[in-house]
Amino acid sequence: MKLLEGAIIIAAMLVPFWAIKSYDMTTYLYWTAVTAAYLIYITIKRW
Amino acid sequence: MNVFLYAFAGYVVLGTVIALMAMKGLRTQEEYYIAGRKVSGVVSALTYAATTYSAFMMVGLVGLSYASGVGALGFELFYLVGTLFLLSYYAPKVWEMAKEKGYITPGDMIAERYGREVAVVMSVIATVALIPYLSVQLIGVGLILDKTSAMSFSYGIAASAILIALWAFLGGLRGVAWTDAIQGVFMLLMAIAAIYWVHCNGFADKDFFAEVTRLGELLVVPNSVWTPVKFVSLTLPWFFFALTNPQVFQRLYIPKDRASLRRMVILFGFFGLIYTVIVTLIGLELRTMTEIGAFPRVEDRDAVTPTLLGLMPPLLGAAISLSIFAAAITTANSIVLTLSSMLSRDLFGSERVGTGRVIIVLLTFAIALFAYSRPNYIVELSVLSSTILLAQLPLILGIFHFKGGAKIAGISTLLAGFTTAVVLSFAKFSPLGIPAAVWTFLVSFVVFFAASRLGI
Repeated sequence: MKLLEGAIIIAAMLVPFWAIKSYDMTTYLYWTAVTAAYLIYITIKRW
Repeated sequence: MNVFLYAFAGYVVLGTVIALMAMKGLRTQEEYYIAGRKVSGVVSALTYAATTYSAFMMVGLVGLSYASGVGALGFELFYLVGTLFLLSYYAPKVWEMAKEKGYITPGDMIAERYGREVAVVMSVIATVALIPYLSVQLIGVGLILDKTSAMSFSYGIAASAILIALWAFLGGLRGVAWTDAIQGVFMLLMAIAAIYWVHCNGFADKDFFAEVTRLGELLVVPNSVWTPVKFVSLTLPWFFFALTNPQVFQRLYIPKDRASLRRMVILFGFFGLIYTVIVTLIGLELRTMTEIGAFPRVEDRDAVTPTLLGLMPPLLGAAISLSIFAAAITTANSIVLTLSSMLSRDLFGSERVGTGRVIIVLLTFAIALFAYSRPNYIVELSVLSSTILLAQLPLILGIFHFKGGAKIAGISTLLAGFTTAVVLSFAKFSPLGIPAAVWTFLVSFVVFFAASRLGI
């Protein structure tokens, strides 16, 4: 389960390398949003 | 006397008073090195953040974002999600084990599983890896202070070295944690002040989101700077930083209870996200300002922040310079304290606090000497530190996931990883196009599993 979580977060962080090609702040905002979402997940989940 | 020196004098007095207050009752190594495992979640989070985020953030990362674009944010946030991922799983286990078995250094955990000799080798490798890294911190701060006319290079090195040794010597981890907490808040506030000033000066009458499109390929990855190979070679060692760097690993021992440990990890995550976003945004805004003619073009990326400081009002420039100084000190004194615990306890087998204090002074002297002499290879060694420390990863993961592996497996893993990192980096050799960090990672794990299968 933890390995799956790791694989998902790494895959999500790698998305801009193949899927985002717009010359604006999309990549910047995407990475910030993914990290913030993961941080919120860590905050609310039991561990 | 310039504004910086007034602020610096206040900073020295405040930090020294705090370190003196923290001195009370520091009789045992448990009190001295891990504050008796009684640190609150908030202070633990701030010392974790201040230890992790060095002068690299406001100097190196601002310049890296300016020169290479959005990939710098990806690199730094990869570190952050890696740390959150690892800590949310391993931190409670490490904390429980440390409390139950009385661990003080990262080496104590390694020694119990693999034998004391492995902890000895680990303490030596960690010291070799981290001394150049620390020296580069001092060099960076010395250059910033020199370029902004706050203090000469030599005085900057001397002042940094004295404060690093003094606050760790007096207050141990309690003093370092308390001073880190205050400085961590100050670092964040000054980063907010810096982005506010940059934005007001560059984009008061312009739309940043419209102007930033001028940066072209700097807004996507991969680009000519952030190739996939470069991204992996920089990111891999940092992804595992929370487990491989002893100064942050030892901080997993310090929270007073499980709730404080959890609070430490979560608050650190918020600190890291906010700080990283601000710092990289400063770099991107300054680069956009360069493209529209509102900020000079800076070819040397390490000169971006000094150039910015030179354009700011003196009071703000002095405050931000001081926050950069604080960032270097908080990282350096935490590393020096952890290394002194590893050398005195793991290498020399001493149970005395006094031994650690002597080592703090000697280590700081060596770091300052390195920084003064500025040998050509020091930057390469510094960059190499996180790659070298990757060699410990199989041993740390082995404690939780693998039953095999003993003394020979431990020593051979550390030596093979260390040798791979040093040889490939100095020879600038990437077999099959694979970077040194990946080879170090692979070789360490292969050696560990091979030796473990042999039962040695």
